[in-house]
Amino acid sequence: MRNLIIFIRRYFNFFLFLVIEIICLILVFRHNLYQRAAFLNSSNKLSGDLYRHYNDVQYYFHLRITNDSLAHENARLRNQLLADFSLKDTSGEKIMTIKDSTGERKYRYITAKVVNNSVNTLMNYLTIERGSKDSIAPNMGVISSNGVVGIVRSVSDHYAVVLSLLHKDTRISARLTRSGNFGSVRWDGRNPEMATLTDIPRNVKVYRGDSVVTSGYSTIFPENILIGYVEGFTEQKASNFHTIRIRLATNFYKLQYVYVIDNLMGEEQKLLEQSAPHE
Amino acid sequence: MKNMIRFILLLLLQVFVLNKVLIHEFVNPYIYILFILLLPFNLPRAALLFCALLMGLSLDAFMNTMGMHAAACVLIAYIRPFMINILSPQGGFEATQKAPSVTTMGWAPFALYAAVLVLIHHIAYFSLEVFGFSNWVYLLLKILLSSAVSFGLIMLYEMLFYPRAGK
Repeated sequence: MRNLIIFIRRYFNFFLFLVIEIICLILVFRHNLYQRAAFLNSSNKLSGDLYRHYNDVQYYFHLRITNDSLAHENARLRNQLLADFSLKDTSGEKIMTIKDSTGERKYRYITAKVVNNSVNTLMNYLTIERGSKDSIAPNMGVISSNGVVGIVRSVSDHYAVVLSLLHKDTRISARLTRSGNFGSVRWDGRNPEMATLTDIPRNVKVYRGDSVVTSGYSTIFPENILIGYVEGFTEQKASNFHTIRIRLATNFYKLQYVYVIDNLMGEEQKLLEQSAPHE
Repeated sequence: MKNMIRFILLLLLQVFVLNKVLIHEFVNPYIYILFILLLPFNLPRAALLFCALLMGLSLDAFMNTMGMHAAACVLIAYIRPFMINILSPQGGFEATQKAPSVTTMGWAPFALYAAVLVLIHHIAYFSLEVFGFSNWVYLLLKILLSSAVSFGLIMLYEMLFYPRAGK
């Protein structure tokens, strides 16, 4: 026993190093710890506030592009207004007057200001100035006026950390518009403007410029939200699937405002899917 | 006291300047480790480890990396005394000087000291970051290019503050 104590005292520094290092590595590899330890990420009060002050300055340099993208979005939404279509067909009238008894609200959009964003590491996150007090919760989808941005990872009272699409662990269920085939979008860690769409079978014809949208299969994103456009594809002989390079619709360099999507029926869908028997 | 100011300044420099500047996809310089490199010689090893842990966790809090910087920092804080022992002349640095710098160690030993620790830190950090991504060329290029830039910045910092340390 005495020898043991002497041994430990002699190598005290080494053991201390080992203990600290192991604690750090536990933090790294226990992903589920992440959501609970909100004080250890940029949604905490101090770093959130610092990032906000920094953004107050930086914001002015992006005003023009922010304005442009908001104006474009307004125009696009206006083009979808029913009042802008002349409805000669009487069936159109009918559609307008029918009250759908199941027309319950499914998605709710919450605007949020981006206070921090990075694009230059393998694991990029955004910090947004909306938190649990604004009814933001983990696993909500985040989109910009141009396309998909990411998924909420953890929240504090006033801030939330968003797992960017530009993160090596992000997978988003996607669909090719022309063929309707489903795949999965992930980032290859290189260019913040490009991503890869995988799991599209090789017999499917892929067109350049075809748009890639969200599939609506997960509870996170609604259907038909733009992710990007097909830029090119390679056919690997050994694989049964295409590897499609897509140009992302969202400009991650100059992100200022995003929408957080609250799926009001998400909980219900998840519960149902969990209770279904798995074979 | 001087070290506390350096802690805050280097943290802010790292988070609001270096992390915001896009140089290249392979180049992510990390200069904040200079704080660990410049801690006094006579600091007990345990204190050194805790200082490194604090610095690493602070940066993790800003970068959402959750322990990766902390792990890399603690590693170089542990290796630091060995490096100093190897590089120290007869009698050691402790007797005459307070902290590692170009003036106390001389150009070549300090450059070697900084280069080795920067390289170890970058190897540890980027390996953790790339974990599960399996692309060796990418990892290697990132480590080498980022280390080169970080090392350059650290030597630049030393050159800027070299005259003052000489007084």
